[in-house]
Amino acid sequence: MASKTVWRTLQPRIPTPIRSQNAYRCFSCAVRHAQKEEQPSERTTSFGFETVAESIKQSKVSSVFTSVAPSYDTMNDLMSLTIHRHWKRQFVQLLDPGTPRGARPQTILDIAGGTGDIAFRLLDHATDLHADHASRVLVADINPAMLAAGRARAARSRYRDSGRLSFLEANAEDLRAAGVADASVDLYTTAFGPRNFTSLAAALREAYRVLKPGGVFAMLEFAKVGNPAFNRLYKMWSFGVIPLMGQVVAGDRESYAYLVESVERWKSQEEVAELVREAGFLVPGEKGWVDFTGGVVAVHRGVKP
Amino acid sequence: MRHRPSCIRSYHPYKHESNSSPFNPTEEAVLAASLRHVPTHGFTNASLSLGAREVGYLDITVNLFPRGVFDLVNYHLVTKRLALKKLLDIQAAKDDGGALTGLGIGARVRFLTLERLMANRPIIHRWQEALAIMAQPSYVPASIAELARLSDEIWFLAGDTSVDSSWYTKRASLSMIYSSTELFMTQDKSKAFAGTQKFLDRRFEDVRVVGRGISNIGNYLDYTAHSFINVLRSKGAKI
Repeated sequence: MASKTVWRTLQPRIPTPIRSQNAYRCFSCAVRHAQKEEQPSERTTSFGFETVAESIKQSKVSSVFTSVAPSYDTMNDLMSLTIHRHWKRQFVQLLDPGTPRGARPQTILDIAGGTGDIAFRLLDHATDLHADHASRVLVADINPAMLAAGRARAARSRYRDSGRLSFLEANAEDLRAAGVADASVDLYTTAFGPRNFTSLAAALREAYRVLKPGGVFAMLEFAKVGNPAFNRLYKMWSFGVIPLMGQVVAGDRESYAYLVESVERWKSQEEVAELVREAGFLVPGEKGWVDFTGGVVAVHRGVKP
Repeated sequence: MRHRPSCIRSYHPYKHESNSSPFNPTEEAVLAASLRHVPTHGFTNASLSLGAREVGYLDITVNLFPRGVFDLVNYHLVTKRLALKKLLDIQAAKDDGGALTGLGIGARVRFLTLERLMANRPIIHRWQEALAIMAQPSYVPASIAELARLSDEIWFLAGDTSVDSSWYTKRASLSMIYSSTELFMTQDKSKAFAGTQKFLDRRFEDVRVVGRGISNIGNYLDYTAHSFINVLRSKGAKI
């Protein structure tokens, strides 16, 4: 009956939270969840399948990413079967960063871009396709551990001494505190970040503030799959396989269970497009977003008028 | 950005769809500026970027146009179609009733078709680029729909109110006449496009002769199939 057991583990158990506070943790696990009591009067937000006070989410997310930072890029390859590379490449191609010779170089702000995955691709695209050796990327992340991983990668890259890549510890919902001025950014990108924001609407307001008129907000994030058959397979993979993989490879089941749950709790394409519009952006096209891989992820764009 | 019909009656647009621009002010500003760069830079991303820069936006602002250069082509098609209505209003406002006084529906259709063709004059040397973009498979439906809207607009503005089956044949044959004359115009080197006018008159003469329309369809499809294959070849397909 081994096959039956495997089948059961693969079944998505969406309505019931699969994580309890007393879940097994192996000793290499570094998650330190905030142990504060919830205040019933406080505003709440989602943390995976849990509902937590807004003030706690940030520290909880922070502990997850401190835990996953060293194995982040390896785990991304495993969890998405390397498809995340295609998503990121398509995302960058869609945005087409970089300016031709003689035009003003761009200032690109990559939010929640800790390990620099998107930043390097943006720079490569601008340099190799447009021969643009002047446009700069500012990588911002709330988590110092993720930024450290990015800095280490930058030191090994061809942009090492070019001054085109810089790192900044910042909260997407308050970029003023990190010193990002009004109307100073051409392109605002964020890949797989918004899900971990406490409030997407607040981050969108900040994006609108820092962008120049005509500047572009672009986000790559998980979304809702349209096809029911494909959705079933996808849920089996994400709820059955990914936490297991996190346990075996990264020695941390909880953090990866959180990643999967936060994807499940995340907004649909329509809801996100509506929020982008509400923040004052012009949304391109009829739908306002582009689906990749049948809607596993989607790109939302907005242009500041 | 796209038009939605103001009524869903399939036989006759008694209430014609509104003539307001389907572009928002930002799109309008960028696309209008980009179109001015088309005579020198063609239907390319360079024209779009230059247009965006000209009106105070950034190179990256072209992200506003998810279909890229096709959105520029589409802007040209839509604005030139809407301009026909304005042209008629100007003519009607003249004291003597304008150029259309006393003309029958047929002559009015010819007048409007010619006016629409002449609106291509500034960019006619670049129009083949636009045709190649419109022939790309993902843009073919939108291009054909826009052609249908143009012939519907011309018949409507000419005052045609028939509700029989000729509603369809009129629009189909005008679409064919228009698209073939437009192709001819891209090669026309005669003074003030006199060759194009003659070509247009011959096509109108053709459809008056019963049955000739059928061969036109054949020729048109044949030509389109060949252009399509050539576009694929130019993209590197081994056909």
